[in-house]
Amino acid sequence: MNFESGSYNNNSKSQQTKSALDARAVRFTMRFLNWFCPPELYEGIEGDLLEQFDYDLQHSGLEKAKRNLIWNMLKFFRPGIFMRNRFTIQLINTIMWGNYLKVATRNIARRKLYSFINAIGLSIGIAFCILIFLYIDDERSFDQFHENKDQIYRLNEASYSVWAAERGEYPMEKSAYLPLPLGTALKNEIPEIQYLTRFNSGQTAIFRYEDKVFTEHIAFVEADFFKMFSFPVLAGSAEQLFKDKYEIVLTPEIATKYFGKEDPIGKVITLDIQGEHQFTVSGVIEEPPSNSSLSFKILVPIENQFWYERNREQWGSFSYPTFIQLHANTSPDDFQAKVDTLINKKMGDRLKQWRKDGKIPDEYPVFELSYTKLTDIHLNTEVSWDKVSDPKYSWILGGIALLIILIASINYISLALTTSASRRIEVGIRKVVGAQKKQLVSQFGLESLILAFVSLFIGVGLAVLFLPPFNEFTGKGINIYSVNALQFIGSALLITVLVGIVAGSYPALFLSGFLPAAVLKGGFTSKLKAGFTKPLVVFQFFLSASMIICSVVMYRQMEFIAVKDLGFDHEQVLVIPTQAGWNEEADKVVEQFRNKASTEPSITHVAGTSSSFNQGWSRYGYKIKDENKSAYVYRVDPAYAELLNLEFVEGRNFDERIASDSTAIVVNEALVRDMGWDNPLDEYLNWREDSVGLGSKVIGVVKDYHFLSLERDIEPMFLSMDKRNTGYLTSMLVKVNPGDLSDKLDRVKKIWTGLYPDKPFDYSFMDQDVANQYQAYKRWMKITALSTGFAIFIACLGLFGLAGVNAINRTKEIGIRKVMGAELFSILFMLNRQYVWLAIIAFSLAAPISWYVMTKWLGSFKYAITISWDLFAISLLAGLSLALFTVSYHAIKAANVNPAETLKYE
Amino acid sequence: MNKDYLGEFEELVLTMVGILGEEAYGIAIVNEIHERLGREVNLSAVHVTLYRLEDKGHVKSRMGGATNARGGRRKRIFTITNAGLAMLKNMKEARIDLWRMIPQLKYSV
Repeated sequence: MNFESGSYNNNSKSQQTKSALDARAVRFTMRFLNWFCPPELYEGIEGDLLEQFDYDLQHSGLEKAKRNLIWNMLKFFRPGIFMRNRFTIQLINTIMWGNYLKVATRNIARRKLYSFINAIGLSIGIAFCILIFLYIDDERSFDQFHENKDQIYRLNEASYSVWAAERGEYPMEKSAYLPLPLGTALKNEIPEIQYLTRFNSGQTAIFRYEDKVFTEHIAFVEADFFKMFSFPVLAGSAEQLFKDKYEIVLTPEIATKYFGKEDPIGKVITLDIQGEHQFTVSGVIEEPPSNSSLSFKILVPIENQFWYERNREQWGSFSYPTFIQLHANTSPDDFQAKVDTLINKKMGDRLKQWRKDGKIPDEYPVFELSYTKLTDIHLNTEVSWDKVSDPKYSWILGGIALLIILIASINYISLALTTSASRRIEVGIRKVVGAQKKQLVSQFGLESLILAFVSLFIGVGLAVLFLPPFNEFTGKGINIYSVNALQFIGSALLITVLVGIVAGSYPALFLSGFLPAAVLKGGFTSKLKAGFTKPLVVFQFFLSASMIICSVVMYRQMEFIAVKDLGFDHEQVLVIPTQAGWNEEADKVVEQFRNKASTEPSITHVAGTSSSFNQGWSRYGYKIKDENKSAYVYRVDPAYAELLNLEFVEGRNFDERIASDSTAIVVNEALVRDMGWDNPLDEYLNWREDSVGLGSKVIGVVKDYHFLSLERDIEPMFLSMDKRNTGYLTSMLVKVNPGDLSDKLDRVKKIWTGLYPDKPFDYSFMDQDVANQYQAYKRWMKITALSTGFAIFIACLGLFGLAGVNAINRTKEIGIRKVMGAELFSILFMLNRQYVWLAIIAFSLAAPISWYVMTKWLGSFKYAITISWDLFAISLLAGLSLALFTVSYHAIKAANVNPAETLKYE
Repeated sequence: MNKDYLGEFEELVLTMVGILGEEAYGIAIVNEIHERLGREVNLSAVHVTLYRLEDKGHVKSRMGGATNARGGRRKRIFTITNAGLAMLKNMKEARIDLWRMIPQLKYSV
């Protein structure tokens, strides 16, 4: 076989190579034919194929002959050939299938309880699998609906983060936010880019049309947006949109909200984005589906964004997510070099400066540009983005579904084994009459498949029924009608057949293994040893116990968070955005409101701040004695500390009357520790790195409070009244008296609308804002609790059935014991003892594993409960009492039977 | 009743076996069908049909002598049995009977 290494330059040699290849092709073809073709037919077929090959060789040339040969051979790969005479015995067996079906349905009908237990367990398992299939399918379907999805990329930047480096993490932090001029330069100088648009969402504006005034979320985009993405434009022309700066595009929902049934095109509305402007509606675009990474309700040209003009030359302001579409057949790798040159040209000096300022080690780049394919955005957790989800959740959910279906399958197996006594005679007689083991296996396999299919129907029904709550739990918008039907049915069938096989194979093998002579001779007790059931039950218990422990820990942690003293009062506080933009006006709103509210007795405090809890934060980095430090900064007013009831460890609160307080700061204990101050009140914090002056005077120290979520430590923070440097009061906090909240809310609203009839009254409750920080954890707690519930339910059903069989097996024994004078209690004890042991064994296996898993989970909280022995004790007790409760029904029933009843037939 | 019925393709192949006599084997039948009817049929389909006809007892097969033509492979020669011949005849007659029942004059111009 030297042709592989041979050179193809030499003509004669290449001829040789070719014929060698041909011979090989023919040989290979024939070998494949030989593999599947019954030997007695092989020669005739091979001869015919070769004859055709020779004919083709003479008439149509070598290439065609070869192709025909292979093609003709492949056509022989059909059941008529390879199944021929091989499965004749099997084929005759189909005669029995009618009988199997009849026996199976009779058996299912006769043992209603067991069939019910099996069917319910399996249906719940299948329903879970279906739901989780839908979930995973939805995760994978993100952004797949865009026609140009393969050519659209989101640009990401990776830059060196001093804070991450300080924390000892990998310092290159990825983000989708880019400087505005970078995008412009890319579009102008890199020909591979066909379209480019920024996409800034998450901002709000006050939308006004006639008497309708509401705050709306708006997204800023560019004209290319409509050419790149496949969101259907329902009215207006995609090519023409956003030629003018004052155009606006709405989704049908918004259009109906403001214009009712009237045609929205051409309507003029007022939008207040840091200043009012008239906008003309030029298009209606369909709202993105739930599986879109881009979501919006209102689109506005990006030129209207506040700071846009200023940011056009700001290479240092990273605030514009940028999407590009490349010309067909280009990939970002093609012009990576050009991009690097471009960045160097435009930003080179700046980057050098940053490296120097930030003391960035040479081995890391300061700034790097990379790309994420549109369809990869959703599962890319490196770059934070709206709706991004961790693929590990799919795995966790899949695991849960698997566990539940496993538990249900175990029910089937253990019940089939324990009740197998009643099938023994049947098996014996079938064997004597001439059934082969293979036939019996297929008979019992068929039975489990029938049950699995019945469960499939119930399971699909359950899945449809539970889809809305499931959507709520997982925060998804899955619609059963939008699912690919073929794929769905295919997977459902696959799951069902798989379950049928997994659950049915062991019982089928076990049942078909009886020796007919032994079975039919009789003379053995009605009790049957199926030793394998015990490990199965232990395993089932183990799974349930682990889930119980996890749920209890999660519940405890959530409870801990809910009642944990955060160090400030967050009850009865309304958070109202001042809706006046980022300027002096905002401060005035708070002042005016405070004046009006002073006459309202139900309002106790009014305070202003730059950002309320869970509504954002800002953080400043500064250098003190060549050391990098950072602190969170909140712009507040004097009422802030009073309203939140912050405790002052040292010093005092701000005072309006003291002029110097406007540049003073109040710090938290963490900052004092960070700076290593002994007498903080004598200190100045030079956080703006003034070369002249000492910085801000510290006038007070507040006790640490959790201004961030409990996932984080309490980090250095200070409060300031310095509006020029720390911002304006964009949020107003209003504290009301305890009592009827809706009445208080009305009063607050009345004051607001009295003052600002043209501004929408948006509000949230601070305690809810704080609680919302843990929504994702709560969601997972609910999912775990729900699955635990189902898992336990199914396991208990199985246990119930098992206990029933066991009690029946021992009726005679119980009768004799009672005759001999056994107490009810001792019989109960005897019957339940083994289950207690099984439960304890399972539990001792579950405890360390769930301890490990839960320690990991709690690791994401800086403030977490410690997993103590009492958690395990509670879980064990709960599990055990549930198990005992389940098995006791049968035990009590069996123990109460009059012994005469059971013994008189002897 | 299964044995009394032939599919269209089965009937075609069976007829060809009858026509070709001693030279009826897979590829020859394919070529014959092509020549006489201009119809392209699949070699594997012909084989499968032949085996099925054999199962039903309409043809029988034996291996012919080796030649040089087919890489030395022998041909599997099929011959039509009396049952097969009767079957063809029955089907033909039944068809002609049916054909006669069509009121043809009605449609003549």
